[in-house]
Amino acid sequence: MAAYLSMGEAHRRIADYLSRLDDAISQSDGADLASLLAISSAPASTPLSDALAAFPDFPRLASDRFPHLSDFLPPLLRAIHSHSLRRFGDAYSSFEKAASAFLQEFRNWETPWAMEAMHMVALEIRLLAEKADRELVMSGKNPDKLQAAGSFLMKVFGALAVKGPKRVGALYVTCQLFKIYFRLGTVNLCRSVIRSIETARNFDFEDFPVKDKVTYMYYTGRLEVFNENFLVADQKLTYALMHCNPQSESNLRKILKFLIPVKLSIGVLPRRTLLEKYNLLEYADIVTSLRRGDLRLLKQALDRHEDQLLKCGVYLVLEKLELQVYRRLVKKIHIIQREKEPSKAHQIKLEVLVKTLQWLGITMDVDEVECIMACLIYKNLIKGYFAHKSKVLVLSKQDPFPKLNGKPV
Amino acid sequence: MRVILMCLTQVHFSMATILQNMQTITITTHKQQIVVLCSKEEQTNIQTAPGYATTNYYYQTDTRNDGSSGNNYAQSYQNYPSSDTNAAQSSSTVPANSFSYQQQYNQWPYYYNHSVPTPAGNPVAGSSNIDNTVVNTTSGYSYPSTEPPPPGTTPWKSNSSASVAPPVQAPSVPEPQNQYVQQAQLTPGFQNQYAYQAPGVPMSQNYYANQAPAYPQNNMNVNQVPLNNHGDQQKSGSLTTGIFSSENKTQIPTIPRIAPGFSMVIPKSEKKTVGADLAKKPAYVSVSVPKNDVKAVQHGSDARSLPFSLRNYATRNLSRCKDEAQRAACQSMIQQITSKAISNGTLLTKNWDTEPLIPLPENLLTMTETSSANNSSSLPNSTPRRRLKSRWEPVPEEKVTEKVEPLAKPLMNGNTHNNLKAQNRMGDSWNLGKSLQSPHAPSNKITHRLSKKQKMGSYSSVVQNGDNSSDSDKEKDLTKYYANASALANSPEEKKRREHRSKRFEKSKDSSSKSRNSAVNKGAVAHIHTRRPISALVTGSYKDGSSLAVEDMDWDALTVKGTCQEIEKRYLRLTSAPDPSTVRPEHVLEKALSMVETSQKNYLYKCDQLKSIRQDLTVQRIQNELTVKVYETHARLALQAGDLAEFNQCQSQLKRLYREGNNGCYFEFSAYNLLCVMLHSNNKRDLLSSMASLSKEAKQDGAVKHALAVHAAVSSGNYVIFFKLYKQGPNLNSCLMDLYVERMRFEAIKCMSRSYRPTVPVGYVAQVLGFLPNGDDRSEECEIWLKAHGAVLSVDNGGELQIDTKASSSTLFMPEPENAVAHGDASLAVNDFFARTS
Repeated sequence: MAAYLSMGEAHRRIADYLSRLDDAISQSDGADLASLLAISSAPASTPLSDALAAFPDFPRLASDRFPHLSDFLPPLLRAIHSHSLRRFGDAYSSFEKAASAFLQEFRNWETPWAMEAMHMVALEIRLLAEKADRELVMSGKNPDKLQAAGSFLMKVFGALAVKGPKRVGALYVTCQLFKIYFRLGTVNLCRSVIRSIETARNFDFEDFPVKDKVTYMYYTGRLEVFNENFLVADQKLTYALMHCNPQSESNLRKILKFLIPVKLSIGVLPRRTLLEKYNLLEYADIVTSLRRGDLRLLKQALDRHEDQLLKCGVYLVLEKLELQVYRRLVKKIHIIQREKEPSKAHQIKLEVLVKTLQWLGITMDVDEVECIMACLIYKNLIKGYFAHKSKVLVLSKQDPFPKLNGKPV
Repeated sequence: MRVILMCLTQVHFSMATILQNMQTITITTHKQQIVVLCSKEEQTNIQTAPGYATTNYYYQTDTRNDGSSGNNYAQSYQNYPSSDTNAAQSSSTVPANSFSYQQQYNQWPYYYNHSVPTPAGNPVAGSSNIDNTVVNTTSGYSYPSTEPPPPGTTPWKSNSSASVAPPVQAPSVPEPQNQYVQQAQLTPGFQNQYAYQAPGVPMSQNYYANQAPAYPQNNMNVNQVPLNNHGDQQKSGSLTTGIFSSENKTQIPTIPRIAPGFSMVIPKSEKKTVGADLAKKPAYVSVSVPKNDVKAVQHGSDARSLPFSLRNYATRNLSRCKDEAQRAACQSMIQQITSKAISNGTLLTKNWDTEPLIPLPENLLTMTETSSANNSSSLPNSTPRRRLKSRWEPVPEEKVTEKVEPLAKPLMNGNTHNNLKAQNRMGDSWNLGKSLQSPHAPSNKITHRLSKKQKMGSYSSVVQNGDNSSDSDKEKDLTKYYANASALANSPEEKKRREHRSKRFEKSKDSSSKSRNSAVNKGAVAHIHTRRPISALVTGSYKDGSSLAVEDMDWDALTVKGTCQEIEKRYLRLTSAPDPSTVRPEHVLEKALSMVETSQKNYLYKCDQLKSIRQDLTVQRIQNELTVKVYETHARLALQAGDLAEFNQCQSQLKRLYREGNNGCYFEFSAYNLLCVMLHSNNKRDLLSSMASLSKEAKQDGAVKHALAVHAAVSSGNYVIFFKLYKQGPNLNSCLMDLYVERMRFEAIKCMSRSYRPTVPVGYVAQVLGFLPNGDDRSEECEIWLKAHGAVLSVDNGGELQIDTKASSSTLFMPEPENAVAHGDASLAVNDFFARTS
């Protein structure tokens, strides 16, 4: 295509694009501007990039035509051009320049009309940085673009997280930052942004756009999962789930992926249909083991999905379900025993437990099982006491297996 | 100021030596005398001087110079910049850049004081822009600068009336002698100065002629500089020179101590000169004016008003010259070009930066007997340098700057002491060896320095501007500005950055000249190399913009190859670049490692030895199996000793080494890492990533399995399993688990007291909580521990000691840790860590 493009046509296309940009800016048309800046996602860039290929002197054209935008347009065009040539590293560098110029302008605009465009810039810079990093890794270089994008977005955040009408756009940038930090594994950097969002008194969190709130709650919920603050994590992830667009199944799945382990750890088990609907079957066996008290199944499930669970960071949470499985097992024994010997229903002999475990294929000596029972009592999973002398677990006669009721183990 | 004086001193000294050596020049003898005289007086001065305020004094002196004769001032003014050139020349090692900055830095306040009133004086003096009219205006300046009141002020006033001898000296030195000295000093001082500067004066002719091949007279400041300095020193620095020249070695060390006094001394001498000048020999004043003007006229065309670019151009040309003869020829060529340009009126319009260089006259080599003879003096020096080069193969141009370093550093502080020390550190070889060469090589050095300047961009122009500062006010203002800027920007980073920036573009252009230049200088510098070879090299390359940025540096070239054969070496944290003679090569390090491994000495000794081994490995950039082994050995020893800080250092190095593909006990240390993360740092994310990074094979490894089992036990709170694992830990896993034992036991006892009813036997607790059997009864230790933690114990019917769990559940507490900390580092006390993790 590019080969057949005449210089005049190329010139026309570029000039057209530039004047549209200029118009959008002069008319304060944020949506239009945003669509013009969507260099990596919008298909509109294709004819333009052909034109850029055919007309290599485009930076001068841009700066001659629109001298007031001379530090914005040429790098932007260069970024579009590099991107179309799949030179993402160059595209990123150019785009960052353009973005800096844009941010500079954006700071000076009093109204937040260009918020949409600013968000587009934030999104594009992250996407470009990810592509550039992939490219850098391929060529064996140090991928540092995403980090650079992170620091640029911090600047954007600084420009937005101020008093006034622009603050409403801050959460979007926060979410982009979260994405970067989670990808880079530098989640501790999230803390400062969170503090800035959550401690602001002059702006109610509920006033942010819903989509940003959902994303924000999702990421902060994940952070709480890392910190094993299950109650807060539950609260945040549930908020995200409730407010998430029900059409967006992949987002719902992402939320559930973290919400389910959290719920499991506070004793709420999901229906199988839910797991099936959102293709979260890696949790199915774990849920089953919790229902059945099948310790072996739990261990198998954890083993099978270990890598995946470790990667998304819920392994340690699920690992802790072990005690709940023991509890279930004791409860089952208790129920059976109650049927057999109602008089001694609340006294479970240690040897019975050991035998049961052996039957499940788990060899443990008496001391270890005794310790587990002690732990169950200690952690309020079982009401009762353990008599060391007679090696008997004595269950409380009233509600020996209290419901967790949202209390974490 | 002090710095300048230093330079002057040094320069002068070198000159004096030169002259001494030559013995052919008439002036020489003259001067020698002066020097001797001066030095005598100077010494007395030094003793008496310390009462006076330092800098003010100097300022005052200068104003007084102005007062007495504008020319004096003009001279001194003019001479300062040249003196720094000179400094570079006399001790070719002197850092063109930093040194001159410093000078300027010091010099500027002074300039500043004076330049303000100058406009008034300008028309009178013509090219030397200060004259008598200045006096009136400047007089105001000297007063605020609280100098020693009576001696300072009176002569000042009297000076302007040009009648009274300065009473300043009265307190210290017998009057008649003083006068004599002054006179003596004064006369030749002027004579020398002007003679040198103005080739027309017969006296200087000898000297000048002698130097002729090296300094074609027209070569702007190149030829002017040495001469200028000469006179300059005679005038202002001669006294100090006396010190240095006569008792160089002994004197210098004392100077730092008397530094304030020292810096005063020189102004004083100057003052004396002036005073004498006024009082005794007013004739000289009047004489000197026209002379100075002559000089100004003569050099005005080239030295003063030449654009920097032309000077740079000249420098470029000169720096290409291989020897004196070429240089001389080249200089004359430049001279021709310059005068042609002047006559054409294109001097200022021509783009000298793009002017093609003058072709080198190759056939002039025959004229270089003298220079070659001179060069022979530097030969012994060049030998060690070569050896060094083979070892570190430094980029030639780094030579240039490394000389900067020793001086530049102290200069940052602007301290005379440091400066002196620095020079002193260079030792006599610095002063003697250098200056001996200087008569022959000065032009090399000057050009060298100039080329340096050129590279320095605006800096250099400032310096040069200062040279010729007696031209226009505008220019002076400019220089002032630049100088201030440079003073501000005196920080090494800034300097480096700037130089780097400005050199980027000139690199290719100058590379050839640079290398040649440095080749000339190599010999001169060599002895410095032998002293502090690498540090100089490294810092040089840091400081010098011409060399590469840090990331571009060729670290391979800088890597040390140790020569030390000692197996045992104490660890000492390096504060400078390593000396190869104290660094052990790899095969010695291997022996050292096995020595440590088999040593019966305590951990502290071993740690010290291992740290020194690690250091030697690091400085030699050895990263192989041996390195891994050393770190592993140290990590294990540190674990056994509970030295978690060292362990962590080793661990992080090991992680990197393993990642880079060095073989070692990867699994063992993966296990340690897991344990460390889960038990010590207790960071869930770190643990997750550590676990996720384990390979399938790693998970099959016994030690890693053990670590993962420990993790499971800890996370479910299963103390029984934990202490079982504690007992059977492979490698040193148990050492790491030690960190957690106390906490785990406490958790366990809390759990037990909560869940067991009515009692639990102490014996059982001792068994499951991993207390070591003490003879038959292991519970004794456990009992002590339980009591320490507030458990309520009772004896049951069977005589067995039991824990009353119900009573204990409310009384348990974690005792304050005693001084003993498991890992030996009180700052990482277990309880702090508990507090952090809980």
